[in-house]
Amino acid sequence: MKRLNMKSTKEEFLEILSNYQGILYKVSLIYFKNASDRGDNFQEIVYQLWKSFPKLQNKNSIGSWVYAVSINTSISRIKRVSRIEYRETLPEVPDTSNIIDEISKNESLELLLNAIYNLDDIDKSIMLLYLDEKSYDEIAEIIGISKSNVGVRINRAKEFLKQNIKN
Amino acid sequence: MENNELQKIWKSLDTEINQKSKEELNLLLTSKAKQTINKFLSIIMISIIVCVGVLVYLTITSLNRKDDLIYLINNVTIGIVTILALLSGFFSWYKIQNNEYDQPLKNWLEVRISLLSQGLTGRFSKLYLFLIPFLYVLIVLSIHVYFEYKPFIDVLKTEESIIALIVGAPIGIFVSYYGARKIRKYQFRNLEFLKDLHGRVCNMR
Repeated sequence: MKRLNMKSTKEEFLEILSNYQGILYKVSLIYFKNASDRGDNFQEIVYQLWKSFPKLQNKNSIGSWVYAVSINTSISRIKRVSRIEYRETLPEVPDTSNIIDEISKNESLELLLNAIYNLDDIDKSIMLLYLDEKSYDEIAEIIGISKSNVGVRINRAKEFLKQNIKN
Repeated sequence: MENNELQKIWKSLDTEINQKSKEELNLLLTSKAKQTINKFLSIIMISIIVCVGVLVYLTITSLNRKDDLIYLINNVTIGIVTILALLSGFFSWYKIQNNEYDQPLKNWLEVRISLLSQGLTGRFSKLYLFLIPFLYVLIVLSIHVYFEYKPFIDVLKTEESIIALIVGAPIGIFVSYYGARKIRKYQFRNLEFLKDLHGRVCNMR
């Protein structure tokens, strides 16, 4: 019986993961330039989501839960990965994890992404949520700051992105 | 450029993402879980094997030298420190692994900062800086005295032991102190990184 419950829980989790995997891709994309780091980060997020899945109470806020776990996991990995990158001078690994292999064909998107890479780690998350059309309330809840603060930061980051894209 | 222009550009990313099937996602999850379990088991196994090895060595040598009180005290001290180090190592590892990511970024950063701060600036935070070199000296003494086949005090009085202690001990202490300090510095850098991020979330910087 317990095994059966476990199986249905896993199926439910995979169903949710399948529907929300775009978030994992995007969060990994804005935090890691290297394809293999993005792949590792994606896998780590999947694992952390699975670990915290039993505690997910409110099934209406699955999106916020996926964003929070994805952002926190990625931020906890930035320092580790940057330390490895600093030590290793290996050439960039070719993109084999089929995350985004067509991205270079979309020039505007590439420009936007390069501008996002220049934002600081916190503003990257805030802008990702903004670009994914999340409300200020949702962004404030996921990041843990006030709604007015969200507004100020988004306006500042938007200007920064526009300037970067123009240049 | 219109404000929602950025959102339109970003939306075009949705069409470029290659969605993984449930089977692929399941495979990713399973392989990561296996990796983590293997890592956990190897850390546990190595720690237990080392700890049991040290305890077996200490028991055998203590039984062979049960009349030498100072030698026994030396070995009991090593045994106690080894067991405490193993337990505190497991406890720290458990705390690190139980990192709760499902909360707002600001709260998560605060929890991580508090956890790291406790370890780095708490009451016993500097204990291991001194404990590792101290343990090193006790272990070297235990091995050296045992293979000299003489009582603890007599061995320490010999010329070669004095020279070895004068030359070897400071080098060993320096190396183990340096190693422990380096780990501590790395943890401090992590703490600073998290504090910096927290400062930025609160918009103080």
